[in-house]
Amino acid sequence: MAEKVLEIKNLTKKFPDGTVALNDISVSFEKGDLIAVIGPSGAGKSTFLRSINRLQEPTFGEILIEGKDILKTKGSSLRKLRRKVGMVFQGYNLIKRSSVLQNVLHGRLGYSSSIKGSLGMFSQQERKRALEVLIRMGLEEQTLKRADECSGGQQQRVGIARAMMQDPVILLADEPIASLDPASSARVMNYIKIMSQEQGITAIVNLHQVDYAKSFATRIIGIRAGEIMYDGPPHLLSEHIIKDLYQDQYAEEARAQ
Amino acid sequence: MVVKTGQTDAIRSNREKTLGKVDQLLERHSNRSKRMNRERGLVGVIVLALVVWSWVMTEFKLSFLWSGLGNIANFFVNDLLPPDFSVLPRYLQPVIDTLVMSYLGMVMAVILSLVAGVLAASNTSPHKFVAFIFRSIVSFLRAIPALVWGLVLVSAFGLGSLAGTIAIGISGVGILGKAFADIIEEIDEGQVEGVKATGASWLQVLGRAVWPQFMAGFVAWSLYKMDLNIREAAVLGLIGAGGIGVALNSSIKLFQYQEAATGILIIFAMIIAVEYITSRVRKSIL
Amino acid sequence: MKKNIKVWLVAGVAFLLFILSLAQLGLSRERLSAAYDRGMVIVDSMIPPSVSNPSNVATAALESLHVAVLGTLFGVVFSLILAVFAARNLTPHFTVSVAVKSFAAFVRAVPALIWAILFIIAVGLGPTPGILALAVNSIGMLVKVYAEAIEEIDIGIVEAMKSTGASPMQLVFQGVLPTMMSALVSWSIFRFDINIRYAAILGIVGAGGIGWELVRASRMAAYSEVMGITLVIFFMILVVENVTRLLKKRLDLASMETVRS
Repeated sequence: MAEKVLEIKNLTKKFPDGTVALNDISVSFEKGDLIAVIGPSGAGKSTFLRSINRLQEPTFGEILIEGKDILKTKGSSLRKLRRKVGMVFQGYNLIKRSSVLQNVLHGRLGYSSSIKGSLGMFSQQERKRALEVLIRMGLEEQTLKRADECSGGQQQRVGIARAMMQDPVILLADEPIASLDPASSARVMNYIKIMSQEQGITAIVNLHQVDYAKSFATRIIGIRAGEIMYDGPPHLLSEHIIKDLYQDQYAEEARAQ
Repeated sequence: MVVKTGQTDAIRSNREKTLGKVDQLLERHSNRSKRMNRERGLVGVIVLALVVWSWVMTEFKLSFLWSGLGNIANFFVNDLLPPDFSVLPRYLQPVIDTLVMSYLGMVMAVILSLVAGVLAASNTSPHKFVAFIFRSIVSFLRAIPALVWGLVLVSAFGLGSLAGTIAIGISGVGILGKAFADIIEEIDEGQVEGVKATGASWLQVLGRAVWPQFMAGFVAWSLYKMDLNIREAAVLGLIGAGGIGVALNSSIKLFQYQEAATGILIIFAMIIAVEYITSRVRKSIL
Repeated sequence: MKKNIKVWLVAGVAFLLFILSLAQLGLSRERLSAAYDRGMVIVDSMIPPSVSNPSNVATAALESLHVAVLGTLFGVVFSLILAVFAARNLTPHFTVSVAVKSFAAFVRAVPALIWAILFIIAVGLGPTPGILALAVNSIGMLVKVYAEAIEEIDIGIVEAMKSTGASPMQLVFQGVLPTMMSALVSWSIFRFDINIRYAAILGIVGAGGIGWELVRASRMAAYSEVMGITLVIFFMILVVENVTRLLKKRLDLASMETVRS
């Protein structure tokens, strides 16, 4: 039995208007897995992911990261837990006017003193490491560029590099390839896979493309209406289950036509 | 769809090579950031020097900010307020004058700028040299504030709104002439050629190909100029070039601050009203 | 087509207004020809332009520059502070935001020269009322554009910085400021270009600078002097605009990480 890195118990999220985004979800994740979370839009995938590093505040439940409940932390201990959880976004969320290198170094902010980090002062060793990560990501030529001068695929790789600088135990990726073309998408997913395998990082990736989920993930979780409908290896994810998972969306599309 | 995962090994095998490149990149980075810091430092020093120089020369003191604020608040409360609305009828003619000056100034600026714009735009000007000359004239007009024109024109036309109107019109060419020329230069030649290819006459080309591309910018800039004009017109009176500024100035000279307050409120209201009307017009024809 | 009718309607009203305005202006052939004759005389006496007391004029021009610099400085500083309260995403309460924004709108709608007159009455003649008037007038515009720049900050950037474990201070200095910086800098420079124009004419009402020299010359009907000072104003504005453009370029170069050489 592999080491449990992340354990989620009874996670529930109710919005003020009464919608239930997550309904009593309990699930645990093991070291080095690449988990694809699939499901129709509005099923609660994003809320699920963003609850793990508390970009969204769950209503109820426990989220244990290496045994420590992030929901019970605040201030600097919350920030210390957050730096263990790297995150990659659909919109990349880079600082557009800062350099690629600077953006990657931001991954070290959680480790630096508040003042030094604010002034963008990072050690030579951190710079070296950032450059190494960038070269490995095939971004050697981009390190001096401004982030917004890079293509979408490149920006997303910068996003991954930033997350890797955090020395994370968990990597969250919220629709990382939704705005990318197929070639860039495959490349980005590849990097996520390599990082997860090499460094034993547990990667949890929200995807709306089932084919990518099947090709890259070691485990797939299907969410519908705030509940887990499927949890298992990719090869057991049958057409039938997929249809079941997406039935609401199909029905809606049918109505629309 | 089958997704390729085979790149994995290729990425792995590159690993040894990367370490060698890091030092090289690091060198480039530190050179770069040194240069950046030098540039930023230079700009910072220049700005700082300007501020210090200005501060010393004008004998400004920080306390002026507070005393100035205190004085103006005091002045507002004790002298300006409450506005004396009994003088409203006296402001009627000046208000009409101000509106007339702004409007005629705009019309004049638009007409002159259409000519200047066509002659200054590189793609419609008969000759490069003509374009250069007109660009220069327009720049010159733009650099000189309307009030300066007003001063000169008051000498020529005497006190009154005619001087103000022409001042607004001339200085308007500085802004609209440049804007129109820029818009004309951005006109898509392809569309023009497309219409030309149908055997259209010069006028038809102008109407069918050039005008539709020009119209939006033309209307927006002209209306924007109207917004600016009302402000110019309001202050041109301070030098006797007609409009509400004349009445305001005489109230102030006679220490009738409560009358002046009414004038300021009217200016305020006119500016808001004109901006509202121009935005409505903009919406209804664009 | 409905749109067409509207356009024609607007055009018709515009033309009617034009005719009415012309009538209001009371143009007459005699008046115009008299003005033409007088204009010719003035133009004649303007050439060649001259400056009878160069050191006075130079001092006055520099005073205009100083007034513009300090007016912009205080405008920028106070606007930055007020903008934090005006921006919807930073304001402590939305009523504060509305209050600050309405204050800025009011200040903006009163022309700079009127502010100058009010400040002259309040604090006396000289450069000080000019500086204060420009500062106040700048605040009217800058609070609005700064607040908009702050409001445009992408929440995604905030989230990304938070997820790295960054502290609030790091979030502001490494995330928010770099994103806003270029907008702030270019608006401030733009405002300085406006302020130098105002500073050139503030003297007309007595708030310091070269404008006073201009009024003095025109009162004495010294038209060659008027033309000379006008040219000085022109060159002053030209030089300032080009210098700020140069500085901005250097700054852009510094903020841009790419070397394109």
